[in-house]
Amino acid sequence: MPTTNIVTIFDNFRAEIDDHNDRRERLIKASRDITNLAKKTIFLLHRLVQEADGRELDDLTAGKKASQQAYPKLREIQDLYAKLQPELQGDRFWRYQRQVSPGLQEYIEALSFAHYLEHGSLITFEEVQRTLMDSQGVEVCLRQVCSALYFPLTVSDYLLGLSDLTGELMRFAISGIARRGGRNKASGVCAFVRGCKADFERMTPYIRELSKKQAVTAQSLEKIEDAAYAIVVRSSEYDLSPEMLDDIVANSISSYSDNSPETRQTFGRRRQADHSDDDDD
Amino acid sequence: MDSNELEKINNLLDRDVELREKIKEQVNEMDKKTRTIIGILNRIHSTPLDAMPALLDSVRPVLLGCRDTTSALAAIIPRNQFWRWKDLWSNSIRTAIFAALLIEYLSTRGLLTIAEAAETLGIREEWSDRMTLPVEDYLHSLISLVNELSRLAVNAVTLGNFEEPIRISIFVKDLFAGFSMLNLKNDTLRRRFDSLKYDLKKIEEVVYDVSLRKLAEVPKES
Repeated sequence: MPTTNIVTIFDNFRAEIDDHNDRRERLIKASRDITNLAKKTIFLLHRLVQEADGRELDDLTAGKKASQQAYPKLREIQDLYAKLQPELQGDRFWRYQRQVSPGLQEYIEALSFAHYLEHGSLITFEEVQRTLMDSQGVEVCLRQVCSALYFPLTVSDYLLGLSDLTGELMRFAISGIARRGGRNKASGVCAFVRGCKADFERMTPYIRELSKKQAVTAQSLEKIEDAAYAIVVRSSEYDLSPEMLDDIVANSISSYSDNSPETRQTFGRRRQADHSDDDDD
Repeated sequence: MDSNELEKINNLLDRDVELREKIKEQVNEMDKKTRTIIGILNRIHSTPLDAMPALLDSVRPVLLGCRDTTSALAAIIPRNQFWRWKDLWSNSIRTAIFAALLIEYLSTRGLLTIAEAAETLGIREEWSDRMTLPVEDYLHSLISLVNELSRLAVNAVTLGNFEEPIRISIFVKDLFAGFSMLNLKNDTLRRRFDSLKYDLKKIEEVVYDVSLRKLAEVPKES
């Protein structure tokens, strides 16, 4: 008698454990898909900004255009989150938060990059929330955001996503620095990243991973600063026209990309692209 | 970030820190109680069978005292955030449930079900999104119970209670069969389950010793 009792009890446990593990797996897969889409969106943005630079549009319109093209991609991610909603309802969100969070951070990184290119500012917590609810929700409750969300947005995912943005901005600034107007843009980005780093500093004790990411942000910032420094030093040595400076700057950048292994590949490719542009001129 | 936004984020973070402190306070209270309980329950290994009910009666009120913690936690955990904070008290809850399981076994030689265990700690159905007893924690406590019973099998014999190892053996084998039905992933629960076989072996050796010397009647396997 007791044996059959135990069998029923453990039968129920098995069903529950299997259900939990299956859902967990599904969410990990979804998170990976989202990470992928977000990464592609970020690459797309970098590419679009570069192309626009070639056509000599001014920064703001170029950024706006690029972000407009990225938004449909981001909407694909938003649709995926809408579909995940039932998996994350009620107390489930926090149970699977660790599985959801990597994709979500990558999404926020891509979203905030597009937002920066369009507005030149940091996307707010509420603005991120507003992308994670159905369209009705947005109209109904502009103030009372939380109730219409697909799932709660955590401050930690928001901040960690933004922290990754600084790395993209570094790439954005340095790869564009050799272009006309690139130095202005770089100093704008430099100030912006510096501001981000200062803002995040107070929050590091609250979020464990943030202090690690702060170190990466510091590195990115230093790279932009070094590039800006090189430009000032060179331009003071010679009395040169901006056009000639562009060539010198392109050379000095190549030395940065050579000693920074994690970014070398990207820059190597871009440098070649730069040269081919020069040939056309 | 503008200063408004910055303040908003910082407020959100501060709120979480406050909550965490409050939870820790409660968990500390519970840990005091569970330590007392475990201290008393340690004496089962040196308590003869006829003195056992009195010993168990002395722990029960302390165990029921843990209800204060669970209801306090249910009151401070925000809606739907059970899983966010549960790691803060998992260990304490597992210890309390282990004590409840052990007390039940020693009183009735039966298994306290998960629903009964939750009830012992005063965990209510309607708290399920804030305070509940997850299967995983219950299973951890069950494994602790088996660990403890394998020790008891040895010590019961020392105290002249030769029937106990046989009862324990049957009970634990049932549990082991139950655990074997689960598809555990490679986590601590799985590793602890894997170690159960050593407890089983130890118990079987005691049963062997006892039956070899005809100290107790071993029932035929059914």
